Amino acid sequence: MIRPIALPLLLLALASILAMVISVGVGSVAIAPMEVVSVFMGEGADLQRTLVLELRLPRTLSAFATGGLLAVAGALMQVLLRNPLADPYVLGLSGGAAVGALLAMLAGLGGVIVSGSAFAGAMLATLMVFGLAHGTGSWTPSRLLLTGVVVAAGWGAVITLMLAISPARELPGMLYWLMGDVSYARAPWPGLGLLLVVCVVVVPLGRSLNVLARGPMQAAALGISVRPLEWLIYVLASLLTATAVTMAGSIGFVGLVIPHMLRLVLGNDQRLILPACALAGGTLLVLADTLARVVIAPEQLPVGVITALLGVPTFLYLLYRSR
Amino acid sequence: MTGIKRPPMQTLNTRRLVIDIPCRADGYPLDLTIESGQVWGVLGPNGAGKTTLLHTLAGLRPARSGGLYLDDLSARELKRRALSQQLGLVFQDRQDGFPATVLETALIGRHPWLSPWQMEGADDLVMAKRSLEALDVLHLKDRLVSTLSGGERQRVAIATLMTQSPHTWLLDEPTNHLDLHHQVAVMKLLTDRAAAGNAIFMCLHDLNLAARWCDHILLMYPNGGACWGPAERMLVPNALERLYNQKLATVEVDGAPFFVPRRD
Amino acid sequence: MVKLKIVVAMLGWMLLASPVLGASVCATDDLGEEICLDRPAKRIAALSPGATELAWAAGAGDQVVAVVAYSDYPPAARKVTSVGSHTRMDMERLLQLRPDLVIGWVTGNPTEQLATLKALDIPVFSIEPRSFEAVSQTIERLSTLAGTESEGFAEAERFRQGIAGLRAQFEKADPVPVFYQVWDEPLMTVNSQHLIGEMIQLCGGDNVFGHLGRLVPRISAEAVVAANPEAILAGGMGEENRHWLTRWQNFPSLTATARYNLFFIPPSLVQRPTPRMLEGTRLFCDKLEVARGRRP
Repeated sequence: MIRPIALPLLLLALASILAMVISVGVGSVAIAPMEVVSVFMGEGADLQRTLVLELRLPRTLSAFATGGLLAVAGALMQVLLRNPLADPYVLGLSGGAAVGALLAMLAGLGGVIVSGSAFAGAMLATLMVFGLAHGTGSWTPSRLLLTGVVVAAGWGAVITLMLAISPARELPGMLYWLMGDVSYARAPWPGLGLLLVVCVVVVPLGRSLNVLARGPMQAAALGISVRPLEWLIYVLASLLTATAVTMAGSIGFVGLVIPHMLRLVLGNDQRLILPACALAGGTLLVLADTLARVVIAPEQLPVGVITALLGVPTFLYLLYRSR
Repeated sequence: MTGIKRPPMQTLNTRRLVIDIPCRADGYPLDLTIESGQVWGVLGPNGAGKTTLLHTLAGLRPARSGGLYLDDLSARELKRRALSQQLGLVFQDRQDGFPATVLETALIGRHPWLSPWQMEGADDLVMAKRSLEALDVLHLKDRLVSTLSGGERQRVAIATLMTQSPHTWLLDEPTNHLDLHHQVAVMKLLTDRAAAGNAIFMCLHDLNLAARWCDHILLMYPNGGACWGPAERMLVPNALERLYNQKLATVEVDGAPFFVPRRD
Repeated sequence: MVKLKIVVAMLGWMLLASPVLGASVCATDDLGEEICLDRPAKRIAALSPGATELAWAAGAGDQVVAVVAYSDYPPAARKVTSVGSHTRMDMERLLQLRPDLVIGWVTGNPTEQLATLKALDIPVFSIEPRSFEAVSQTIERLSTLAGTESEGFAEAERFRQGIAGLRAQFEKADPVPVFYQVWDEPLMTVNSQHLIGEMIQLCGGDNVFGHLGRLVPRISAEAVVAANPEAILAGGMGEENRHWLTRWQNFPSLTATARYNLFFIPPSLVQRPTPRMLEGTRLFCDKLEVARGRRP
């Protein structure tokens, strides 16, 4: 809380830009760095312009937005639940959002309605997990996680069911809801815009979040109106998750790994952690997606595979350490 | 940015205050006047409502009836933030599961005094460090609270309250988990704060600590009964035996009574 | 009906083969979209193994510059650059090959990726042949777009005639209750809407699961036992692997098992909507004839 905020954020911003440069510069078709530069100067051959500007750049920006949204959503949920293991994927928010989006798609709706339905699904998932984990007793970490995992498995089953009964024509477009993939993401701008807006909204709330992390009673004793703040975080986390899911399906563990690593390095001040999550989450997903594109090219991996391979050991380590 | 400057608060009053304990009939209404310079001890058996009273005084729980006043101002008319500039509370149960260092934890005490966009400044840092120093935990400042012992956490919590520096300090069993030396150190710190103009109001399970350090006592009975007053009037064996339903022997140490439970 | 189609096809062939060079070519795909090219396609990307075979059948094999994984027929297709799996294409590699026509697979390729190609002004001809006639028509349309109509229409007609011949041969054949096994774990079959369903019908088979609602229903072994088919035909993983059939030997009460009517059909001959289905259908019909011959 006393460290300078600007320096780490500046470094993370540089890392983000570096990751995006790598992502735009690397692909299954080799394009020399100078040629990439010349494309951005408005020159270059047609094919290179298409590859860089129409394929790599939008995909890179989408990956960045998705990763940032998920990491911030994870960090917010961890404060809300005072549990460093909370994650939109582990707790079933992603699943709820995916079910919402799929329902809208099955009903033949598109665009904004799909996003809205995903948002409603994420909200419902959160409400269910919070409500059921709270129950009549207290909120223990194990109880919350168990509830989340069971609810997440439930959403997975619902998705599989919906895929099984949907007309075959919709299938290839729907499979990525189960294993997130940025290759289907098309318009990065709404996600990036939301990410920016949330960072601006959340920074003045940062200190309140620090206090809330010490428990609702302590927060109230320090002058915070706990209920409205909790609702705000809850709605924000759901909105972020839903936006990320409508962009790229269910990508797991970004919301877990990034806040955890940042807290180890940067401390626990949410005013620093939240914007840092946006940058670092974006960076991670951009790099992971670059890997997913080229590691076994021409075969393409869904980026969710890479994040899960990184995230599962982290989660287990955290769980092990928390005893 | 601390809002309108008020003259320093002097007293915390309750008027006909009945705390709300579910499934219990209304207790005896409390008309407490907790003044600057006083050290109050709340005694009573388990389940008498000591913690509920503290939470009610801190404005965290609604009372069943009656009111809470800061000087003449009803607590209901104050914003939560303004209230927390005057009243601070050390909880008995704390949630230390979410990672935060000792220094970060102490610094949250400054929250009521800062505007949303304001970062903690050098002054705030000095206050936090001074508080940690006073509670003998400054050397732990970069440790995660979750890695500390119970006694260390207790002292960090008191240091957080000290950093908050409200007028009235409410403390729920502040000597829990503390070794003898730190018990004395904490009680001494609290009486020093009272001497400096704060009011101290704490629940204690140790009768003798209350006898040693408190100048005012509130006895709370499980049936809702209560009586309060200066310590020397309240700490009489008869009343205490009835309070705890336990026979006591009394000796005198350093001019203060010392109560020992009898074996039979 | 067939004759009329031949006439129309011939007319079209004569019209398009006439020396109106440089004129654009158009064809309607299985999404109902009309795809027009300024000149016949010279660089074709086939985004499913079936599309690759159809492109070759249409006489446009030499123009195919990109295929996807498992495009193994004809053997020449193996030498063409792969752009990854049909569910997740390597778009960069695909664009690098500068296709002037992409043959998409309606139910196999992700709609988002096909939409990206369309947004980049690359013509996408989406196919989903669901009948023998559709196979012929797809070959014809592809040959139109590729400027290889003489070969394409001939091949389409050969297939059409071959199927018509089999149809005539087995029109009056005694029905044989048939179970066709698409996959083993989980157990899957086809309904009568499926192209394989049409194949069963044509050979005088009676698909015991033809009435089910889904195109490729998942079923239980119990349902197979209850339906008691007279013949079981199965593909398998690979062209030789017969072990899917062995599970049915544990059910001697099944008529198919009792009469040894457990037949292996190389899956690539029946499961891809291509002219090789003619060979597959012939094999299929032969097996059913064998089953008829084993009746007591």
